[in-house]
Amino acid sequence: MATTTTFKATDAQEAQPANWTRWLDLSDRSLAVLLLFPAAVLLALIIVYPVCRLVYTSFFNLSLTSGLPAEFAGLDNYRLMIGDPVFWETTWNTVLITLITVPGALLVGLGLALMANLSFAMQWPVRLSLLIPWALPLSFAGLIFAWFFHSEYGVVNDVLNRLGFEGIIWFNSPNWAFAAICLTIIWKTSSFMALIILAGLQTIPRSLYEAADVDGAGRLRQFFEITLPLLKPSIVVALIFRTITALQTFDIPYMMTGGGPGTSTSTLAMYIHQNTVSFLDLGYGSALAVVMFALSMCVTAVYLRMIRTKE
Amino acid sequence: MTFSKLTAFRKLTGILFCGTMLAFAMPASAETALNIYISSQHQPDVWRKALDKYEAANPDVKVKIETGGNTSEAQAQYLNTVMSAKDTSLDVLILDVIRPAQFAAAGWTSDFAGKDMSSYLPAYAGANTVDGKVIALPAFADSQFLYYRKDLLEKYGIAPPKTWDELKVAAKKIAESEGNANLQGLSFQGKAIEGAVCTFLLPYWSQGKVLTDNGRLTFDRDAAIKSLGLWKSFADEGISKKNIAEVGTDDTRKEFQAGNVIFAVNWSYAWAQAQGKESAVAGKVGVARLPAMTGGEQATCLGGWEWGVSAYSEHQDEAKKLVEYLSSQDVSKFMAINGSLLPTYAGLYQDAEVTKSAPWFADALQVVETAKPRPVTPRYNEVSEVIRTTVNAVLAGVTTPEDGADQIEARLKRVLR
Repeated sequence: MATTTTFKATDAQEAQPANWTRWLDLSDRSLAVLLLFPAAVLLALIIVYPVCRLVYTSFFNLSLTSGLPAEFAGLDNYRLMIGDPVFWETTWNTVLITLITVPGALLVGLGLALMANLSFAMQWPVRLSLLIPWALPLSFAGLIFAWFFHSEYGVVNDVLNRLGFEGIIWFNSPNWAFAAICLTIIWKTSSFMALIILAGLQTIPRSLYEAADVDGAGRLRQFFEITLPLLKPSIVVALIFRTITALQTFDIPYMMTGGGPGTSTSTLAMYIHQNTVSFLDLGYGSALAVVMFALSMCVTAVYLRMIRTKE
Repeated sequence: MTFSKLTAFRKLTGILFCGTMLAFAMPASAETALNIYISSQHQPDVWRKALDKYEAANPDVKVKIETGGNTSEAQAQYLNTVMSAKDTSLDVLILDVIRPAQFAAAGWTSDFAGKDMSSYLPAYAGANTVDGKVIALPAFADSQFLYYRKDLLEKYGIAPPKTWDELKVAAKKIAESEGNANLQGLSFQGKAIEGAVCTFLLPYWSQGKVLTDNGRLTFDRDAAIKSLGLWKSFADEGISKKNIAEVGTDDTRKEFQAGNVIFAVNWSYAWAQAQGKESAVAGKVGVARLPAMTGGEQATCLGGWEWGVSAYSEHQDEAKKLVEYLSSQDVSKFMAINGSLLPTYAGLYQDAEVTKSAPWFADALQVVETAKPRPVTPRYNEVSEVIRTTVNAVLAGVTTPEDGADQIEARLKRVLR
């Protein structure tokens, strides 16, 4: 008797979940879908909806300065863009900033990470100082460097003068202004690259280097044959982050030059901001933002493909 | 807890809760809190004194000042963000004279129906009236003037210049004779700020040309080339600093105040500071009308600021009453004496108390009366951006005056179509 009762109880306990799934008629696959549903809704609300809304707005002639309601304009905003020299100039500037500062920050970041990875007694101050540029707000960094490069009161020209060179009016020339911006961006972003690369460096087993020592490989060869190949995943991750933020460059040129002289250091993100916030032309601003979004997606896709072919 | 104790506890909490809510609600219903936005460059501390008087006379109103943005563009961006979000937190807004048309088009301010504007200077009555509706009320007038070093001009027996060419000759003569490497001939605004729009327009207007007529573009390429070329020549001939493309309005004010400038183009606010305790040139400053192009007429840019009531304010009547006060003749006089802000009432320019604190106001009325407004259009922000970035590019040597004029024309055609 006793055994039967126990058996029944156990049976009921074990059968319950099975019954429940049978009742819902769920396979493992549909259960997974069900469990992912809340996350998908959240994602749709905060990412898919705004992007769709952006694309939708870009087809309208929506400007707060020429009266409402908005009129459907089809591809007018995109047509306008093709004939807009400032759009091409700011896009080119953005691409150029990306092409200069991403490799620049990678090289400096790699150097910093290798330095921080050396074993010596006072390691923590070095690692802490790595964090400072990364922790500083972008616009604040822009403000500081705007002062550094000021033609009269700036520390950069002061150093140049002391070294016997003539000071440069940095923000009076498109090339020098561009150089000053790129230097600032590299300073600001290389510590982030260094942090990711440092994390990668610490996963490389010491034993590999010891074995290489035994085999008689020099430092340089160890770097190219062990360190660099094993760092590749970290470097690709760092590059993805950096490239996307480079395409969205706004704060530093905004604070340093305001896009000047003329529009020669203005970026696409600044042009979007100008059209939406200053000119209140939400239709054209949205169209520009769609282009920037597409550009970011393309670049990300290229990187993701790079990782996939590696595996 | 027993049942009766629990009920008592609930009751007590309820009473406490209601009491607290009432305590918070009571002062709010007894007095109105108004938030007023004043840009930080416009002496909010002096306006505070005027507001203190208002609060004393109206104990049921408390006014809080919110400041921010020290350039016209920064203020515009801030207000654009607040207003397009339909934010109710601001009741009264200070607006640059170029903005009423834009605010009217966006429906961001409540109009003053039936307001008689005839007591104000005609230019300001006009600037605040869009399509027959009074959008805002004048806060103070302004225009650009030529500031000069009275002591240096007297020393070399030179009269204040009437043309830009005379100014060049005078500046060169004084700078050479003084032999001071830090002394520059002319400081004006070359940075890509709102002031650079006026920089462009001064010589353009002086040649008898206008930029728009009833909202349509009437661009004169030759006049524009001459205008851009004039400013570039100041930089090229060493009369202005090489980095003039970096100079903003307040940089001009600071350098003049430090005694490093012979002539300066600036707005009326610079006077009070040039006479202040920290000024190296107190008592040595002259103010005159801006020079003309040779053969042209003297012209200046109409400035000034206005008080608007936010369309989203929850205290429309109280806010309008406050604006009526701030725009009144009494406050205008108070601000003229204490903040050297130019009045929008013609009579105050001859007022003995006003001219005692700022003697040059006696001659300023003529300047303000003949000052020309910048193009009136809801899309003014775009017009401004086109002109100021081009002026900046020409002064930096990135663009020639000819190309600059072509760019302005091509881009303005798109904005003012």
